[in-house]
Amino acid sequence: MLEYGTIKNYVGGQWLASQSDENLEIHNPASAAVIAQVPLSTDEEANQAVTVAKETFQEWRETPPLVRARYMFRLKALMEEHFEDLAQIIVKEHGKIIDEARGEVRRAIENVEAAAGIPSLMMGYNAEDIAVGIDEECVVQPAGVFCCIAPFNFPSMVPFWFLPYAVACGNTYIVKPSELCPLSQNRLFELLDEVDFPAGVVNLVNGDRRAVDTLLTHPDMVGVSFVGSTPVGKHIYATAAAHGKRAQCQAGAKNCLVVMSDTMLDRTVPNILTSAFGTAGQRCLAGALVLAVGEVYEPLKAQLVEAASRIKVGDGLDETVQMGPVVSRRSLERIVGYIEKGLEQGAELILDGRGIQVESCPDGYFIGPTIFDKVSAEMVIAREEIFGPVLGIIPVADLDEAISIIHDLPYGNAASIFTASGKSARQFKYQVDCGNIGVNIGIAAPIATFPFSGMKDSFFGDLHGQGRDAISFFTERKVIISRWF
Amino acid sequence: MQLGTFGAILRFAMELESQAAAFYEAAVQGVLADLFQEMARGSGKRLNRLERARREGVAEMILESIEGLDSSSYQMDLTADADTGQRLQQALALEEMTSLFYRDAAAKMPIQEIVRLFQQLADENMQRQGELAELQAS
Repeated sequence: MLEYGTIKNYVGGQWLASQSDENLEIHNPASAAVIAQVPLSTDEEANQAVTVAKETFQEWRETPPLVRARYMFRLKALMEEHFEDLAQIIVKEHGKIIDEARGEVRRAIENVEAAAGIPSLMMGYNAEDIAVGIDEECVVQPAGVFCCIAPFNFPSMVPFWFLPYAVACGNTYIVKPSELCPLSQNRLFELLDEVDFPAGVVNLVNGDRRAVDTLLTHPDMVGVSFVGSTPVGKHIYATAAAHGKRAQCQAGAKNCLVVMSDTMLDRTVPNILTSAFGTAGQRCLAGALVLAVGEVYEPLKAQLVEAASRIKVGDGLDETVQMGPVVSRRSLERIVGYIEKGLEQGAELILDGRGIQVESCPDGYFIGPTIFDKVSAEMVIAREEIFGPVLGIIPVADLDEAISIIHDLPYGNAASIFTASGKSARQFKYQVDCGNIGVNIGIAAPIATFPFSGMKDSFFGDLHGQGRDAISFFTERKVIISRWF
Repeated sequence: MQLGTFGAILRFAMELESQAAAFYEAAVQGVLADLFQEMARGSGKRLNRLERARREGVAEMILESIEGLDSSSYQMDLTADADTGQRLQQALALEEMTSLFYRDAAAKMPIQEIVRLFQQLADENMQRQGELAELQAS
């Protein structure tokens, strides 16, 4: 008997068993136990979700924004009520530690709270007498059906970078969760069902690439929000554009943490550890490369290894544990492959997390904190996204060299500087071509009222998730010029 | 048990407050009734503050081992004694121990919001100790 059974789709206000005969097993990464099955929905099921969402759109867009905001308040209340349950599901399907899962649920709730401001956020503007007796106004209107293609690493939060804003704006919505971690959205949709949105306002379609392509190319789909890898992001963006959809695609990353010699090392090291090894390195804001400037290199290296080797790895539900497993065996093997590649290319492995044993979870997908020294900028481990707890250290002469390395990378998601110098910090935030910049912050994660930015191969589109960008993405602006005879 | 993470420390703090609330409720009798009732209510409110902190104070997780904090240093028998004077002594010891825990934990906690909360809770414990001492003196 599976803990969560075979999960269903939620379409038109009803839980529907998929007619697909293809299912994937969902594993608890800490134990490798199968805890659920997720169906790979058929084209018809994905199409049906769009049809239902389209049918509901007119009724929902006519619902006053103040009333739509009240749905957000109800959703927030339910998420608070079931907070711990939501956090535990994340741990079971993803593996991250319970504190990180609680933080993820909090971030999801913050987006619901921000979207509840929709009566103000959606206001347009006007001007009288643009010519004598003629007035002009800009009204902001919902656009129709949108969908989200979600990643595995934040199974609860990422769809909520989009769904609350889309729905609060008066659109209808479809979530396609990650097929690796669909249980959080399944539980959240139980709460959305309890909120009692009109049938068809929010919909859940489980599946894989087939469902994605069906949603993406449906004539009634207006736009898509995606978070995942760069190759898939490019595919989504190109397909969306080819079919006349708007798209916001947040993609891969290789984030650098620049450490200046004037930094406070005792404050910097914990931040770097959290950035590199939190969520077992499986986040797009994870620090992957430390660029150690000048003489800080040796003491920084020593302190990082010493502190990282003390991180307790294990089942994320155990509150004494500081780092959980990675999401799947395949992911574990891929990360180990990168470590071997690093060794082949001459990097020096100064902390090896391979083969770590967790007594209580002998079958889990664990890998401990891993640190490479003597990494050079052209190595594969310095250029490609590993998405695991692997940190590379590159010594550099000065800040200019550090910025040059950042700019040579294809990605532009995030970068941080640790320094006591305002001049260095200013140069860094002014010059660095990354969407999210940290100054003495290891994980530059924007809160709900700011856009989650990104540049270069880390983002395809123009309007980002969260904040004012979200309102613009999910709405049309209509200009009306009027004269009365 | 070693309290080495944010979650473990918060959980232990919540257990302390639950135990305190249960102790005061069980000991509501005679001349202690009013004050102990108030203490029980206060412990319940403190428990809610900690639960909120656990939910809302994790915006910035710091993945650094917290060392030197062990739950075994903050244990006491909280079976309410039949004797009024003894119950009052127990309450004083409980407030002192809880205050000590919050001060020790605040010194090790890397998250500023939680440091502030723990310091406030420790100060409240001192205040509660004062009220208990006043009752004892009377």
